Amino acid sequence: MMDGLISNRIRVLRFLNGEMSQAELGQRIGVTRQTIAAIEGGKYSPTLESAFRIAHVFGVPLEEVFKWELIETARPGDAANSPTDAVPTDAD
Amino acid sequence: MAYREKIGWLSIVAMAVTFGPYFALVAAHAIPAAALPNLRQLVLFGITAVVQALILGAGHLYFRRRSLEEARTPPDERDRAIMQRSLSLAYYVLIGGMILVGCMMPFNSTGWSIVNAALFMIIAAELVRNGALVANYRRQA
Repeated sequence: MMDGLISNRIRVLRFLNGEMSQAELGQRIGVTRQTIAAIEGGKYSPTLESAFRIAHVFGVPLEEVFKWELIETARPGDAANSPTDAVPTDAD
Repeated sequence: MAYREKIGWLSIVAMAVTFGPYFALVAAHAIPAAALPNLRQLVLFGITAVVQALILGAGHLYFRRRSLEEARTPPDERDRAIMQRSLSLAYYVLIGGMILVGCMMPFNSTGWSIVNAALFMIIAAELVRNGALVANYRRQA
C-alpha cells in the first residue's frame, strides 16, 4: 500500500477570503469550529462531502484545497526486484 | 476544550469518585457477604448510583450554561467518528466482561459477587468509552 500525506491550504484560503474565521467556515459547511481547526492542522481528514463543501465555499476546485502527497517508503527487497533489473542491457 | 470532551471528562470523574470507593469497599470485603438481597450492599449501591447521577446532572448543567451554543449544536461528522471509535473499543471490553461474568462466574460464584463483577465490567466499558473519547479529542485538538 502506498503511504500518503494529506495537506491543505484552508488557512491561506481563509485569509484570501477576507480572513474568514474558522467558526464561520464551520457554520457554512455544517461542522464545529474545532473540526475546522482539526482539519486545518492536518489532524482530521474530512469526509469527501465536507471536502467538496469547503472547496465550494472558497469557490475553488477540490485539488486547490487538499493535496495528497506520496511518501516514498523503501521496502526490503525493492532494489533487487526493481524493474530496471529486468530490462535487458546491451551486454545481453 | 470542546463541549463533548468536557462531558467525557465529567463522566470519567463521576465514575472515579463514586464507583472507585464502591469497588474498593467491595474488594476489601467491608460489606459482609450475605444471601440476596443483602440490604447493606443494596444501600451502598443505591448511594453510589444516586451520587453519580447528582454529579453528572450538576456537571451537565454547569457545562451547558457555560457553552450553551455548543451544547445545542448536534454532533458533526468528526464528533460522530470519535463516538463510533470509542464505542467500538468499549464494546470489546463489555462483551469480554459479559462472557466472563455470564458464562464463567456462575460456576464458582454466587449472588452479589456476580452482580458486582457485572457492574465492574459495565463501569470498565464506560471508562474505556469515555477515555477513548477524551483521548481522540485531545489528539485532534
